[in-house]
Amino acid sequence: MPAETHVERTPLGPDDVFGLVRERLAAILEIDEDRITLDARFVEDLDADSLALIELVEELEEELGERTVGFHVDDEDLADLRTVREAVDYVVTRLGEGGGATS
Amino acid sequence: MAGAPCTVALDAMGGDRAPGEIVAGALDAAGTLGVRILLHGRVEELRPLLPDPVPELVTLVDTRDVIAMDDEPLAAVRKQKDSSIVVCARAVHDGAADAMVSAGNTGAVTAAAVLRMKRFRGVPSPAIAVPIPVPGHHPQVLVDAGAVVDASPERLMLYAQMGGAYARARYGLDAPTIGLLSNGEEAGKGDDLRRRAHELLRSVPGFVGNVEGSDFMHPGRADVIVTDGFTGNVALKSMEGALRSLAGMVFGVLDATPETRDAAKVITPRLLEAAEAYDPDLTGGAVLLGVDGVCVISHGNSSARAVVSAVQLAADCVDAGAVRRMQEAVANAR
Repeated sequence: MPAETHVERTPLGPDDVFGLVRERLAAILEIDEDRITLDARFVEDLDADSLALIELVEELEEELGERTVGFHVDDEDLADLRTVREAVDYVVTRLGEGGGATS
Repeated sequence: MAGAPCTVALDAMGGDRAPGEIVAGALDAAGTLGVRILLHGRVEELRPLLPDPVPELVTLVDTRDVIAMDDEPLAAVRKQKDSSIVVCARAVHDGAADAMVSAGNTGAVTAAAVLRMKRFRGVPSPAIAVPIPVPGHHPQVLVDAGAVVDASPERLMLYAQMGGAYARARYGLDAPTIGLLSNGEEAGKGDDLRRRAHELLRSVPGFVGNVEGSDFMHPGRADVIVTDGFTGNVALKSMEGALRSLAGMVFGVLDATPETRDAAKVITPRLLEAAEAYDPDLTGGAVLLGVDGVCVISHGNSSARAVVSAVQLAADCVDAGAVRRMQEAVANAR
């Protein structure tokens, strides 16, 4: 039998999502996690270009998709996410909506 | 090539003349270079273009999505995961291919390579290396020709490190010279980016200082010319436009009178021979620097001949260990 793929887990809160974003973004940008604060701006403060943000989005979708089936980030929404806080809030909202999958 | 033939994942759907010219080039490359080709695209469009049986070194890989030349790159790569471009990049990452070649949407190829092959350590963004023809001499390497519009001084230093390693691998240069494109040779020339980059680049082996636009296409000043993607793309297109204008002027003069037309019968074959140095179909195309695999971007109007050149370039980069050498150059500088 394959391993259980849909496990009941504790819902992720803002702190958990921030931790995840910080960890993944630090790995992508190869910078210290301490630099990634909630108020940090992706472009101006972290030198993250659009490709780096898409890398982040894909990693978040992969990780969070295991928790919330269909979790995804709309490309159209990306341009509005200018700070880490905005990205965290967006992800938390999406998770609360059940992943953002459209039916 | 020793051992197993190099395997190249070829995007059959990318380019203004796809898939016909791409398939023709694939067949030619497999036949003349002995390279294994994984031909990616819609099989129902590709199969009629292939002989029956398909040559042993050519394998069809069915992909359903096609990224158009004018699609928005990031969105296209995100949404069209079964596109020939994305699947080619994945083939390199998964080890099914040693390199990828595409004449398709440059931005999408860049995005797919970054997202599927991944950048290598120490490189926050890729850069496009384009060979600039220098008659009677090996080409210069222009980095970045447009992968990323903006650049920081630190990124320009990375371009110099990778460009130098690439020039060593590609052209066998022991100590390539590296110049920073600016609006004057003196160290203080240029905007803030150029002045700060100049200071950083002093530590890069082979750095010869600032170079100007007029140093392109001339031997001696710099083997590698580094700049941000915006300026690099403008410089590249300016050279292309100037050459096209010059060619039009020369052939216009040769066709002007009965006397010049007579002269043209003698001169034209020699001119065409000399012009081969500038033929984009023979340069092999651009190479994406900073990703963990060989990715060759051929020009959008690629002919079969251009595809063969691009496949040759990809195989040469694999043979020369170009990616490993760039990784080492970046790692050693950290």
